[in-house]
Amino acid sequence: MLPGLALLGLVVALPFLLAVWMGFIDLDQYTLRDWLGAPFIGLANFVEALTTSSMPHSLWLSVSFALLTTAIATPIGLLAALTVNGRVPARGLVRSLYLVPYVIPQFATGSLWQVLLQPDGAVNKVLRALGLGGSNEWLIGPPAFWALVAVDVWASWAFIYLMALSGLQTISTELYEAADLDGVSWWQKVRYVVLPQLRGPLSLGLILSTLQHFNNFTLPFVLFGSPAPEAVNVLPVNIYQTSFQVFRFGLGAAMSVLALIILAIPAWLYLRGVRLDAKPEEAGA
Amino acid sequence: MSGRDAQAVLPARLNGVLIALLLAFVLVPVLFMVLMSVTPDADIAGGTLWPSHLAFDNYARMWDTVALGSGLVNSLVVALVSAVVAVVFAVGAAYCLTRFTFVGRRPYLAVLVFLQSVPQVLLLLPLFMVFSSATTYLGLPLVGTRLALILAYLTFALPLATWVMVTYFRKIPESLEEAGLLDGLTRFGTLWRIVVPLSWPGMVVALVFAFLVGWNDVVIASVMTHPDTRTAAVDLQVFGQSIEGGAIPQYGQLMGASVLCSVPVVLLYLLFQRYLVSGLAAGAEKG
Repeated sequence: MLPGLALLGLVVALPFLLAVWMGFIDLDQYTLRDWLGAPFIGLANFVEALTTSSMPHSLWLSVSFALLTTAIATPIGLLAALTVNGRVPARGLVRSLYLVPYVIPQFATGSLWQVLLQPDGAVNKVLRALGLGGSNEWLIGPPAFWALVAVDVWASWAFIYLMALSGLQTISTELYEAADLDGVSWWQKVRYVVLPQLRGPLSLGLILSTLQHFNNFTLPFVLFGSPAPEAVNVLPVNIYQTSFQVFRFGLGAAMSVLALIILAIPAWLYLRGVRLDAKPEEAGA
Repeated sequence: MSGRDAQAVLPARLNGVLIALLLAFVLVPVLFMVLMSVTPDADIAGGTLWPSHLAFDNYARMWDTVALGSGLVNSLVVALVSAVVAVVFAVGAAYCLTRFTFVGRRPYLAVLVFLQSVPQVLLLLPLFMVFSSATTYLGLPLVGTRLALILAYLTFALPLATWVMVTYFRKIPESLEEAGLLDGLTRFGTLWRIVVPLSWPGMVVALVFAFLVGWNDVVIASVMTHPDTRTAAVDLQVFGQSIEGGAIPQYGQLMGASVLCSVPVVLLYLLFQRYLVSGLAAGAEKG
């Protein structure tokens, strides 16, 4: 039993501390193999990350991307949960099918949309048939940002759906029946019965979803490659490129430590909401 | 109101329309993936949406175009080994965390949860540095081996599996174990004979999630592997990026390979759906 605790400490705490240390040394492909001898350069990496590097741009992209995708996925997930909470035909099947895009590995999702978003691909075909024009630059130009948002929403809205559905299942039938007796419309039921009851699980879901979108590396990396087009040079991809393609490992580490400091705000909110401890004798603590 | 389904909030007709729209939204791209996987490469490259003929040979030819065979074996071995190791240690760790009170227990739990929000590259960098220098300091080449990949996945799979087991062990009443202890079982005995047999659904969830850490990963494998230890995910990513330079982009085969990598995961979910869905929600269990 104890080996589990110890191993967990070793494989998690040690890399974590090393990551912080890496931010303070000048580490490139030559010093990497002998990093104990790499020169200590103080805050230079952090200063460079915040001033002359492309990190501020990436950070802005990542924050807006994470907030935007969560904001779009939320109403979809909520509506989806409402559609299968009551008795509907083939409810089990519908619930399973809703999960499919979420379950498919993101590298496969990336390959799929990479093909669909080609200049001659299906997305443009459909858009042009609808008279919406389309774009030849979904994967390379400024519209890439919107392509990434759309694909990520498609791939991950079901997370919000799952959170909302598990929340809906805790609302007692009496609440709805009371509302029915008062003769309220379905919209009032959503507004005054469902949403207030879902506030807890849904707000946790929103925070978690924002964090996951912020940290998503696979989807932008598979869709656009690295170096990424400027419009989709999100932070995880930028750090990857800085570290493993430009070989500025120290700078990459400094960037990821800075990212973590920013992530600490939503992560702290999340921690406060999660039930860390369920031991009855400590319930009051 | 008699006979009305109180849990159905939306009006029936709107409900039906919404389900139809959502299913179309979800399924049209997926069906496209399947359709394109049997479409001749030249058709897709030429911009035809409907295949001129069904090219099932995409599924035969793709094995030569990408090193898919070795990729799938690598993915399977690495993901499975790291998942099994993670679950074994997670069971021990989670048992300590739920049954004993000790200094640092709450921070420990907090770290487990916090780790779910740490960007992967943050932990990948030090792992890569340590593994690269293993050659210098220990004379042991690690980068490019399956072992390196397994160790790296453990960094992510172990906390995840531990948290899943923690949420599961809480549901098992301690009175059962107290009875076992009174009957002369050791602590390890209660874990092995009482808790483990009761918690296999939790262990399945932990195992599947830990497995998916490896199976779905691109970033770690793309720096930790050599061409012959590459996982299927990286094979696909490299194939996808290199494809556009070719005379006829082999999109059909790319889709075939994508379908092949997705099917096992979708099947896993369908098989264990009941347990997995509750496991997904466990991360956001509210207090």
